Amino acid sequence: MSIPTDATVAAIVAAIRQVLHDTGRTAVTVEPQMLLSTELGLDSLDLAQTIVLLERSLGVDPFRSPPPGSARPSIRTVADLVGIYSQNAPISSSTGQP
Amino acid sequence: MKTQTFPNPTPSHLADAPPEDRLAFAITEVARQFPDRAAIVAEAGGEGSRSIEYATLAAAIVKLEGALDRVRPVGIVARAKRTESLVVIAAACGRQHVPVAFLAEDSRDLIGELRDWVAIDDSLLLVANPADQRREFEAVATHVVVATSGTSGPPKLVDHSWDSLLAAARLAEQWHGLGWILVYDATRWAGIQVWLQALLTGGRLVVPASRDPDVVLRAIVAEQATVLPATPTLLRRLLTSADRTLLAGARLERITLGGEAADGLLLEQCRAAFPGAKITQVYATTELGEVFRVTDGLPGFPATWLGRSLAGGARLGMRRDGELLVQLSRDTAEVATGDLVEKRGDRYEFTGRRSDVIVVGGAKVLPRRVEELLRGIPGIADARVYGMPSAITGELVAAEVVLADPMPAGSSPESIRAAALAACRSGLEPHGVPRILDMVKKIATNPAGKVPRRQA
Repeated sequence: MSIPTDATVAAIVAAIRQVLHDTGRTAVTVEPQMLLSTELGLDSLDLAQTIVLLERSLGVDPFRSPPPGSARPSIRTVADLVGIYSQNAPISSSTGQP
Repeated sequence: MKTQTFPNPTPSHLADAPPEDRLAFAITEVARQFPDRAAIVAEAGGEGSRSIEYATLAAAIVKLEGALDRVRPVGIVARAKRTESLVVIAAACGRQHVPVAFLAEDSRDLIGELRDWVAIDDSLLLVANPADQRREFEAVATHVVVATSGTSGPPKLVDHSWDSLLAAARLAEQWHGLGWILVYDATRWAGIQVWLQALLTGGRLVVPASRDPDVVLRAIVAEQATVLPATPTLLRRLLTSADRTLLAGARLERITLGGEAADGLLLEQCRAAFPGAKITQVYATTELGEVFRVTDGLPGFPATWLGRSLAGGARLGMRRDGELLVQLSRDTAEVATGDLVEKRGDRYEFTGRRSDVIVVGGAKVLPRRVEELLRGIPGIADARVYGMPSAITGELVAAEVVLADPMPAGSSPESIRAAALAACRSGLEPHGVPRILDMVKKIATNPAGKVPRRQA
């Protein structure tokens, strides 16, 4: 598992905050240990939107074509998301370049 | 401003000629009486505008007919890009009783079905290949092959008799000598109807240099065109994106909408911009041809029309899920149109195509409803709603909007976006709310001038 970059974390936090904003909810500080559904109140539509936003900012959608033999990843916390996007990050972002 | 009408060919003379001869006959008659009259103005509204006279068309038709008579091909594929070439090919093939196919750019791969047919391009030269099939006798009825636009399925070829192709043409005196704007593709059903109509009535076909709203309006003004056949999407673009002074200078007398259903808001905006124009909405498909016309300026059609025989002889029915059914005549089968309608007051209004439905987490969303809501937001000139694939929910509702120019006082793209999303949240089910809302300069349209429903 590669080390999450600041850029990946920032993109995920920004995406979640955008979703909250777009759906008329108040902004909150997003922390890695927060539970996506019970603490941040994100449902499947919110998650789906987050994934689209992250595809636009990070250039990957890890959920679209899962590697062969892999199970559906468990996404309960913000940290889980960071983990998935770090594993699937393109080479350039792991060297810290945009 | 109408140009002088001419006594010949009168509607009865034209009706006496066999349908496949009528186009050549009409052009020849006008050329005989008014050889200098402009038949087609190409690249109108642009720098390289050029005028083609009736006499020129008539001469080209005769020349091509000579070649067709010598070569006697099984069929002709019109591969030309210029409208004047398509007209000449159609007229010559009609009068020589040779089947002719019009293939648009994106249906060129359908040509495999017409493998013995010979292609003619803008040179209008018919190259006789000894290996080509020659027609020994007229076993195949003269017909015209048109490609569907692919909006409701993959593009396919449809056969039409000349009779069916000309069925909707209006030949009465009041239609003679008018200026017609062609914004449709000249190789598809809607475009063919426009150039047939213009040339059968001694009119002037004005082909703008591009579909840019300013160019289209410049063409209308420069060539004094008074009839605009268009899709609601193209009309909306004209009304929202064109230069205001150009818009004010256009004097349209008739606007014919087709290809998509027009909503009440667009019809109001159209009346405001063109107060002198009569608005007609045509419901037609490439397979069925024209089914009915609505001239009362209201969206959809009167509820009383359902189950009755209409003016053209067609009968409308409806499936339980709201899909419109059409039976063209007593001897034909009922056809499911794929269009959904909903009763609103004393009318049935179109709510979209069955295939447009976006499925979000198993729940259905009709894009048109969301679009109508978005277009009602101050600051939004036009909107396109489509389905975006999602691994989590199957699809998501996505939208692209064009901002009004100028924006309402005190608003910004951000405030308009927030207002739009808030309105969607209160007016729609949660799964119907657009999750992606992008701001674009213009709405994407397919080659037929209609709005695509799947992410491009």
